[in-house]
Amino acid sequence: MTAGAIPRSAARHAGGRTRTRPVVRPLVIFVLAVIMAFFAVIYSRTSLDRTAFELQLLDREIATEEQRHWDLRVEHARLQAPNRITERAAELGLVYPDDRQTIEVTGVESAVGGPEDRWTELRALFVEQP
Amino acid sequence: MSRTSFRFGDLRVVALGLVFVLAWAGIGYRLFQVQGADAAVLAQRGFDQRIRHETIEAKRGTIFDRDGVELALSVYGKALVADPSLVEDPSEAAALLAPIVGADYVELAQRLDADGRFTYVARGLENSVVDRAARAIEEADLIGFSFEDAPLRIYPSGGLAAPVIGLTQVDDGAGIEGIESVMDTELAGRPGKRVVERDQAGRAIPQAEFLLESATPGSDVILTLDREIQYVAERSLQAAINGTGALGGTVVVMDPKSGEILAMASLPGFNGMDRTTLDPSAIRNRAVSDVYEPGSTLKVVAVAAALEEGVVRPETPFETPPEIEVVGETYADHGRHPPVMTVTEIVAQSSNVGTIKIQKQLGDETHYRYLDAFGLGRPASIDFRGEATGRLDHVSEWCGPACGASAAIGYGIGATTLQMAAVYATLANDGEWVEPHVVNEIVAPDGETITTEPRRRQVISAETAQTMRSMLRGVVEEGTGFRADIDEFPVGGKTGTSDKFDVETGEYSETETIAWFIGIAPIEDPSIVAAVVLDTPTGTLADGTELKFGGASTAPVFAEIVEAALHQLGVSPVHQDNE
Repeated sequence: MTAGAIPRSAARHAGGRTRTRPVVRPLVIFVLAVIMAFFAVIYSRTSLDRTAFELQLLDREIATEEQRHWDLRVEHARLQAPNRITERAAELGLVYPDDRQTIEVTGVESAVGGPEDRWTELRALFVEQP
Repeated sequence: MSRTSFRFGDLRVVALGLVFVLAWAGIGYRLFQVQGADAAVLAQRGFDQRIRHETIEAKRGTIFDRDGVELALSVYGKALVADPSLVEDPSEAAALLAPIVGADYVELAQRLDADGRFTYVARGLENSVVDRAARAIEEADLIGFSFEDAPLRIYPSGGLAAPVIGLTQVDDGAGIEGIESVMDTELAGRPGKRVVERDQAGRAIPQAEFLLESATPGSDVILTLDREIQYVAERSLQAAINGTGALGGTVVVMDPKSGEILAMASLPGFNGMDRTTLDPSAIRNRAVSDVYEPGSTLKVVAVAAALEEGVVRPETPFETPPEIEVVGETYADHGRHPPVMTVTEIVAQSSNVGTIKIQKQLGDETHYRYLDAFGLGRPASIDFRGEATGRLDHVSEWCGPACGASAAIGYGIGATTLQMAAVYATLANDGEWVEPHVVNEIVAPDGETITTEPRRRQVISAETAQTMRSMLRGVVEEGTGFRADIDEFPVGGKTGTSDKFDVETGEYSETETIAWFIGIAPIEDPSIVAAVVLDTPTGTLADGTELKFGGASTAPVFAEIVEAALHQLGVSPVHQDNE
């Protein structure tokens, strides 16, 4: 039997000296903390990157939607163009009447708002438009 | 004493050690150089390579008509650019791309074949064109082409009101004509600045530091134009030009009470969306740039002044021989009329002789004062760049009675269509001249609105203005302007025909004329004033009347436009039979 084979309980009392137990637990905790901190940093960093990419994606989507908004406004204005409507009307066989008959209905106020009402609505949109 | 013997193996160890030492020393030195001595310079160099200073284009404001319909607006367009040094076959590339982007093949091939590393293939491309061009480039495997963002100015109604709205430059989007030019500062906005960190491929690095100064969008400009009335005005004017073979024409329709211009047509015009066929001479707004002698339409000034000054009354009779001589100059009347006519009849029959006699009683000084007060000889509005002042010489420079006589019947004085429309608007607005204007409001991006009040001044009394309107009604009911009559609305107005002055010969043409009609509707409670001018109309009507006269060519145009305009404005028809 070699000295290394002395049982731990016997060795502890050999020579009457008590050996201090190595401080393992704090070390393990520290290492674990470091590892966790490392992963936390990595995670936060990747999260940030992912968020940045998402933001970029959103920016792109906003730009696309904005472009769509303006394209639709152009389309809307083009569809309203009087010359286009006249041409389409002519294609459908509509003509200006030779003789007009006007019927006046007294006591009826115009239900449709005037230009001022329309502008109040539009002005509100000006502030919201991209 | 022991002796150390030299061994070859030791030398190798020393040499190896030395190599390591030198290598580490070199690395250390380089490290010191990079991280220490040259750190700042190298850091800056790297920073400069990644960092790009970019301008954020401000979105140009929109131009609306009075009802909020877009007449001009900016969208996010694209520019197709090329690096000629990478283009393998310029001719093939030009042949493929020119028809898609609407470029000239020869010019494009030359640009792609030139030295240099950058050229525009086309700018201001719409998305549909970009898609087709991108597909063509991909399918043909062309290299050296890419797309860049470039704002695109769109005129959704094409050529409608183009001379009023104007144009922007293709490259920097600055306004060069019309409202685009006059309101350029307001429409343009303020560009922003951006410092972006980009990778080698030119992609923005996410989270990289960038400073941002936001671009401020341009303000929106709301015009007084009514798109429907504008369309009718242009359509009717074009029909008249086609029918008379006139060189061109103008129409101004305005609200006399507010001075708002509801329509301003100038033909031949142009289409801002089609720059390939753009004729520079057609870009001008003839209604404010072309000056004509107003002929008989100017007679109202002399008559109104004489009434206002109490020199004559509507029923004051004048002997009206077929012609009159003033200091050697002979002035004759067109057609036959009674030998004695009242002032009202003189206006209705547009008698030159009678008007000259009224002017002689009025006097040159007073006549000039009223011509000036009615706004002749100076720009009528601030809304038009390059508006002509017209021509009104100071009375001290008049040649004497002959000049006064000429001025009375609209010769020797130059006026734009807009100036003359403003004269009649003064009569319609109970004698108050109101500055004609086409800009209604400017709306800033934050919603704040700027409105400019038009200038106003009382020129004649309301009573005189009403009397003049009655006389103008007579012109349509019984006089030279009968073709301007409308069933549903009583209108009044004045015909005018001025012989064209040939600058080269220094004489008036015997065949070419400027035909005018300016009128007010409805005459009792005026809602609109419309002025119609045709430059050199020709031909004859079925009854033999020559179209060179305003009563024959421009009066029907007036009637057509005014009838449609009054319906558009919701003016209730007047039952003339019951009057």
